[in-house]
Amino acid sequence: MTHFVTVENVEKVFPLTNGDTYIALKGIDLNIEKGEFISLIGHSGCGKSTLLNMIAGLDLPTAGVVMLENEEVLKPGPDRMVVFQNYSLLPWMSVRQNIELAVKNVLGHLPAAERSEIVEHHIDMVGLRHAADKPPDQLSGGMKQRVAIARAFAIKPKLLLLDEPFGALDALTRGNLQEKLMEICEENHVTTVMVTHDVDEAILLSDRVVMLTNGPESKIGQILDIDIPRPRKRMEVISHPNYYSYRSEIIYFLNQQKQIKKLRARKTAAVARHGLEKINLEIGFVPLVACAPLAIAKEKGFFAHHGLDDVHLVRESSWRGIQDGIVGGYLDAAQMPSGMPVWMTVGGMDGKSIPIVSALTLTRNGNAITLDKRFYDQGVHTLNDLKRMLLETADKQHIFGVVHPASMHNLLLRYWLAAGGIDPDRDISITTLPPAQMVANLKAGSIDGYCVGEPWNIRAAVEGIGYTIATDLEIWNGHPGKVLGVREDWANAYPNTHVALVKALLEACRYCTDEANHEEIREILSRGEYLSSELEFIQLGDPNNRVCDLRPSPKEYAHHQFYGHGVNRPSRTEHLWMMTQMARWGDIPFPRNWVEILERVSKVNVFSIAARELGLSDLTYSRGAIQLFDGVNFSADDPIAYLNSLKIKHDIYMAEVAIEKPLARTA
Amino acid sequence: MTLVQKRNPTTSLRKPTNSKLMERLDDIASPLIALLILLAIWQLLASIPGLTTLPTPVRVVQETWMPLIAYPFYDRGGTDKGLFWQVMSSLQRVAIGYSLAAVVGISLGILVGMNKRVSKSLDPIFQILRTVPPLAWVPIALAALQQNQPAALFVIFITAIWPILINTAVGVQQIPSDYNNVAKVLQLPKSEYFFKILFPAALPYIFTGLRISIGLAWLAIIAAEIVMSGIVGIGFFIWNAYQNSQISEIILALVYIGLVGWLLDKMMERLQTLILPSSQR
Repeated sequence: MTHFVTVENVEKVFPLTNGDTYIALKGIDLNIEKGEFISLIGHSGCGKSTLLNMIAGLDLPTAGVVMLENEEVLKPGPDRMVVFQNYSLLPWMSVRQNIELAVKNVLGHLPAAERSEIVEHHIDMVGLRHAADKPPDQLSGGMKQRVAIARAFAIKPKLLLLDEPFGALDALTRGNLQEKLMEICEENHVTTVMVTHDVDEAILLSDRVVMLTNGPESKIGQILDIDIPRPRKRMEVISHPNYYSYRSEIIYFLNQQKQIKKLRARKTAAVARHGLEKINLEIGFVPLVACAPLAIAKEKGFFAHHGLDDVHLVRESSWRGIQDGIVGGYLDAAQMPSGMPVWMTVGGMDGKSIPIVSALTLTRNGNAITLDKRFYDQGVHTLNDLKRMLLETADKQHIFGVVHPASMHNLLLRYWLAAGGIDPDRDISITTLPPAQMVANLKAGSIDGYCVGEPWNIRAAVEGIGYTIATDLEIWNGHPGKVLGVREDWANAYPNTHVALVKALLEACRYCTDEANHEEIREILSRGEYLSSELEFIQLGDPNNRVCDLRPSPKEYAHHQFYGHGVNRPSRTEHLWMMTQMARWGDIPFPRNWVEILERVSKVNVFSIAARELGLSDLTYSRGAIQLFDGVNFSADDPIAYLNSLKIKHDIYMAEVAIEKPLARTA
Repeated sequence: MTLVQKRNPTTSLRKPTNSKLMERLDDIASPLIALLILLAIWQLLASIPGLTTLPTPVRVVQETWMPLIAYPFYDRGGTDKGLFWQVMSSLQRVAIGYSLAAVVGISLGILVGMNKRVSKSLDPIFQILRTVPPLAWVPIALAALQQNQPAALFVIFITAIWPILINTAVGVQQIPSDYNNVAKVLQLPKSEYFFKILFPAALPYIFTGLRISIGLAWLAIIAAEIVMSGIVGIGFFIWNAYQNSQISEIILALVYIGLVGWLLDKMMERLQTLILPSSQR
């Protein structure tokens, strides 16, 4: 299939003065369809303008080819008109003369009368009738850019290229010009490529946003489809439900690039000491109350006690960051949602399979489902009420937030809804958001509810934005919350370190369970480097009526469970349940070789070694079958029959998931 | 409250027209006063007997009043002409030599600026020749051209051409790449590019070169005429006066030379204001 513009395996190398070369771009592949609006975004110096210049023909690639309508681009031409950041208006000519210069040279075959009509029409189109005879030095920046745009459109180019066109303008002018540009592009169906720094501009104007990684050797990191219907209004587009997820996506990408750059600069070679292979660890976490064991292990010296002298806790804003950090090797270990090890191993990440193992369950419980306050006012107090309300308002799309497809929150929410007869994907829609944005989105009304770990449920309740309709205790008391996850090859390369890590965290978990320590733990968590939150939002396990003010009789909850009988041991049954649930919703294929996979993911032997060395051998006790709130029991005997027995599910497909044989990773 | 009343309300209304006039008067008065002071010092110093043989300003005016100052247009044949004719003669030579230098300088400058190879080859030669003072060219000019008039013209030419040429070349090279990019994208034909982009963009530089050169040309002609004897021209006039120990006449001639030079520069400046758009000055 031929595309309008093809950029094929383009590479650009610059010779430096000292004889070296600088590879700016490498392996750029991009296809652009007719009428599309593409934005190129990336950090300064990543090569966006270089790429644009090559598409324009002002610069030639050192390898690869750029094609426009199947013809190679070898030199610049008016069919690929460029609007420069510095306007490039000729100062000795008036506005009209500048546009005339272009029209005369490109559309010279037309009669003079028609040409002058085109010039006048475009002057009016950008609203510069009153300044048509002024020279550029009497115009403001915005007006000058309007002239440049008029000049570009007057010659009817096939491809319009904009190099940070609004970068030098103030915010108000920028907004006006963005709207003008959108209007003109839509009317004329011009294919456009724009380089910009401004994330909001990219989302507002484009059909697709192309994100470039940092140099040297920049490549296309990700292409985001902006699925917001046209015509778009600047003020309205921000209230589109997907707007903030697009925005977070792009900003997340740019932040990752910045982090990668920093990490590249910092050499992370393994430092061996105390008989451990690597004592300098980077451990990832997400700011939730559930990260307490990690914080305590660091602050109370448990890591150091077991020989891990140089542990650095890396705070990520979302599970996506954890995921990318583990995959990219920037994180040695991480606190993960309990379903993530299986999810990543079986190929939940776009089919890529990264074997992850878990040797410790860090927390249980601590999740709740919060709904918007207005549902409470409408009388929605139970699951059946919710179902009734959804049926009554079938025309409105209700959106729920979860933190990650593999998180327990997602699985619990879906299970809870399905048990009530609501199809989570057809009757409502579920979207992924970082935990910290849940409350903001609920407040703004862009989501109707969410399922997330504390402190975000208490926060919503205290601020009066939402209420908790169900806690984990009512869905599955004692469900696994967060687990410790490491790459399988990492675990094989650093076995002693792994055991030391589990020991340190196990001791930290035990510390967290002791109620006498709760005040101290809450204080530590409220610090800036952890949750950075008000103390009142952080509750560990004290019975409090903040969360469940609906309950007529206060039950005794063991909210977050950090330690205890059967709490920390990795359970194959639980991983299997999560596997079935993820397959149920189509996130992963259900693997035929599930036994093998569970053996590999659930590292019970590491846990046992750690527990024994700490003298806690009574912890090694298996949980057995799972009991969920709707009375359905799940045992590890026949998962496929279980899957078949579920009423609401998506197309479940089975596959033999081949995972590479475990190899020791070279340090 | 009493402080407010101190201000005279009417002065604030009168201020605009008054201040401009005051400024103009100030502009003229200050140099005039300085000049008078300098003349007074000169008069004083020259009056001291034995200090110098320079005449006092009063004596200069007395001695040259007849016929030089009073009758600038007199003509008694040969080289005995009024100062007006002397200056005119020199200016004529300047005009011819300078115009030639401008034409050749601008054309060659554009060529050099546009072509990297030409620029690389010729630039060292230009830089060396540029430093040769006008007076040093005179013997060669005379030896080659034999006659005074063509030799004088040559000296003016060779002095004036360098600033024009070099500045034009730089102007062409300094065309912002943005304009070149516009030309490339629009695929402007050479002629269009030349007249619509290259020439206007290089014009400020060309004018800088022209203004420097006019000053140099005027300098050069004086020097050249001193050496070439027997021609009508202010330079020769000075030399002749020196031979005849007519110091006052020399001093008068110097004043006239200075004034003419100043006028030439002012003329160039006016031309520049007329031709260049305000953004490029």
